Amino acid sequence: MILVMVLVAFGLITLYSTSAWNGQVKFKDPAYYFKKQFFATLLGLAAMLFISRMDYHIFEKYAVWAYVLSLILSGLVLLVGDSYNGSKRWLSLGPLSFQPAEFAKLAVILFLSKVISSQKQKRKGGILSLVRVMLLILPIVGLVGTNNLSTAIIILGIGVILVFVSHPRYLPFLGLGGIGVAFIAVFLGMESYRLERLAIWRDPESYEKGFQTIQGLYAIGSGGLFGKGLGESIQKLGFVPEAQNDMIFSIICEELGLAGAAALILIFLVLIWRFMVISTHAPDLFGALAAAGIMGHIAIQVILNVAVVTNTIPNTGITLPFISYGGTSVLFLLSEMGLAMSIARKSSLGTPDRSGKIG
Amino acid sequence: MEKEHDRGRIHTFHRKKIVLIFALCGGVLLFLIGRLGKLMLYDSEYYSQKAQQLHERERDIKAARGRILDANGTVLADNKAVCTISVIHSQIKEPEKVIEVLSAELGMDEEKVRKRVEKVSSIERIQTNVEKEVGDRIREYNLAGVKVDEDFRRYYPFGELASKVLGFTGSDNQGIVGLEVKYDDVLAGDAGQILTMTDARGVELADTGESRLEPVEGYDLYISLDRNIQEYVQQAAYRVMEQKQADSVSILLMRPDNGEILAMANVPEFDLNDPFTLPEGTDDGLTDAEKQDALNQMWRNGCLNDTYEPGSTFKIITAAAGLEEGVVSLTDTFSCPGYKIVEDRRIRCHKTAGHGAETFVQGAMNSCNPVFIEVGLRLGIDNIYKYFNQFGLMTKTGIDLPGEAATIMHKKENMGLVELATVSFGQSFQITPVQLAATVSSIINGGLRVTPHFGVEVRTKDGTLVEVCQYPEGERIVSEETSEKMRYILEQVVDGGSGKNAYIEGYHIGGKTATSETLPRSAHKYISSFIGFTPASAPQVLGLCVIRNPQGTYYGGTIAAPVMKDIFENILPYLGIEKEETTETESES
Repeated sequence: MILVMVLVAFGLITLYSTSAWNGQVKFKDPAYYFKKQFFATLLGLAAMLFISRMDYHIFEKYAVWAYVLSLILSGLVLLVGDSYNGSKRWLSLGPLSFQPAEFAKLAVILFLSKVISSQKQKRKGGILSLVRVMLLILPIVGLVGTNNLSTAIIILGIGVILVFVSHPRYLPFLGLGGIGVAFIAVFLGMESYRLERLAIWRDPESYEKGFQTIQGLYAIGSGGLFGKGLGESIQKLGFVPEAQNDMIFSIICEELGLAGAAALILIFLVLIWRFMVISTHAPDLFGALAAAGIMGHIAIQVILNVAVVTNTIPNTGITLPFISYGGTSVLFLLSEMGLAMSIARKSSLGTPDRSGKIG
Repeated sequence: MEKEHDRGRIHTFHRKKIVLIFALCGGVLLFLIGRLGKLMLYDSEYYSQKAQQLHERERDIKAARGRILDANGTVLADNKAVCTISVIHSQIKEPEKVIEVLSAELGMDEEKVRKRVEKVSSIERIQTNVEKEVGDRIREYNLAGVKVDEDFRRYYPFGELASKVLGFTGSDNQGIVGLEVKYDDVLAGDAGQILTMTDARGVELADTGESRLEPVEGYDLYISLDRNIQEYVQQAAYRVMEQKQADSVSILLMRPDNGEILAMANVPEFDLNDPFTLPEGTDDGLTDAEKQDALNQMWRNGCLNDTYEPGSTFKIITAAAGLEEGVVSLTDTFSCPGYKIVEDRRIRCHKTAGHGAETFVQGAMNSCNPVFIEVGLRLGIDNIYKYFNQFGLMTKTGIDLPGEAATIMHKKENMGLVELATVSFGQSFQITPVQLAATVSSIINGGLRVTPHFGVEVRTKDGTLVEVCQYPEGERIVSEETSEKMRYILEQVVDGGSGKNAYIEGYHIGGKTATSETLPRSAHKYISSFIGFTPASAPQVLGLCVIRNPQGTYYGGTIAAPVMKDIFENILPYLGIEKEETTETESES
């Protein structure tokens, strides 16, 4: 809980710092992005508190419906979605816009947890049962993936983690990993622009499209050990495109230096550790899987985001949880936190001696 | 119930796997921290330098260009403070007022100003080279978003004076023609820089401060040219050009002993303060390329950018070669029937009736072609070549002005006796006037080759000497004896020969006239010239006057010699060369 609040506050401050210039330039209001984010955060905190007081088994009941709803919404966004920066990812409802992909992540976590936990336990379930579970989430991966590859990868990742956890054996997953690698290779080869991204990744300075990556690296490199100080970034002044979104971590590096960036990663690490604790102490499989899914979700996003910004992996648009700009994202992330807390509360009721440890 | 329980139970392997996944994630995150550390510490310098370069904007500060001063310390090329007016779109608060004030003060079309004021750009230049008073007035309006930057502009106090020598600079403070380009590295100085941090749109960041690199102002160049002499010479050139309706007139005055040029007039000159405007009535309906050609033509320095057939003035060189080689002496006698036959050609003398019997000295006084053809033939092709090289005619003079033209001469293997004969009296090849003046200077100054030049000294603005201009040590090209004989012969030419119109009572003047026909011969266009020096015994000043395409009388002795006489009469007292009282006896020989 405290960790989450720290992260959220940290996110809001850096978001304001990073987006003030862009907001000023584009909307004549330095707090433009901040206000929207703040509103979404308040909403998210309310949702978190509310959900944490609920019995998470309610979600088990509605998991299937949530999944169906996310399918519908994801389908809808393809038809009547709003475009921003060339991607059709938003559904508008009056003044509010909503990104179904964010909802889909939560829905998938719940849905898979439910499906797996209610499956008849087969001691030696073959690969087939794994594949069957994976197939269940393919529709949503496909729908989301048509216009938001990164989120699709995250959903797939969450799926793989949950299936992995649910299955007693290790070996099949090596095979699955092999298939995955092969699949990725074919996937990359199919479209030349994806290969181009790879080339840019290897040598970003030689390509015009490596601009964002390079600018991010400039920002990171400028930070040094302790950074330039909060608000002192120059790269955020239009040099790093979308500084308040995917690339926010590079600005954090520039302003707060290695110390600040490492601290932030460590906070995430502690948070992930908390989820692990919650998951391992959950009263039942559904709770354990849901917590594991949330853990996977956060971990994957943090890892991918930091890896992209540091040009460790090819560029792809993944936001940094709690920090990056994105109302829907914050709302659902906080809801997930609420869910995790609810699971923790349950387990603490069952085992009062551990109550102190629950965040 | 049992079944239910089994379904929802957590097995140990579940926990194990969750821990495993956490461990994996933790490992990856730690690796990423390591990667960050590498980027931010190890590669930090590389990236932050790159970023720095990206954020910095350089603004040059012009260095004040050095001045050009004449022999008396009169400033010939100076700097004048001017202003550049620009607007910064994002800072303008009252666009209408800005437009109104700027168009009124700058005398610009309102629409034009409006277009620039309303253009969305980081900074938009309205006008450059605005007089300082106007700039100050605009500054006093205190309009937000209007920037008045002070700047220097090259200014030539005497306008047309020695325009083709001095040259001018472009808007970037860089020499374009003349001394301004030749001595650019001396005059230019080093531009300073203002470094400021900007955001991605190029807008300067207010509180990051700026670092300044102060400009180093250029050095002053002191030249040998004398403003007073130049002014007189230029007037004389204009006078004769008008009288004779000539195309152009070049007059060059130099010191034969050290090569310093006192005056170099090439009329028509042009206004250095407005070098890109063609004379009125000549710039109508020209394409850009044609206009550029016309401008280049206007900027040409006839003394060294163009060659011509020197004609009879070149006989000085033939004579010097003949005397030096020993193929002729002053008392040798010749006979001129009015022509000379060389191979199958009959080459006429300008006096068709012939000069009859004459000594070599008399032949020179008469400018008799057959005499010099004979000398040329006695020398032979090999010797003519030898002396062309020895006298420095085949190389450039090395004058400190750009664009000196090279001599156009027959190839040795293509040269026959007819060509040899015509070369002997200054035809069928071309040299520049400055080449002729330098070569004759070297022959009469005792025999040492001089390099004609303007640059004398380089000083800082407060007068501290930086450098004395160095020129190559003159090589001996003829003996003292030959040099003395040449001075004697040429004095005779002025005293009683074809150059007598340059004779001034009380002065010993040596000289030689020339009248050459330009190519094509059928056009009947002529170049009249005279080269003269004084005092004959120890020359201190040498002048060359070249009149291109005069109308009416075109003989050098008739029209060019009097010009030099007039100039000598007026400048010799100024130079402190006094008249002598022993003229009576000298002039009779």
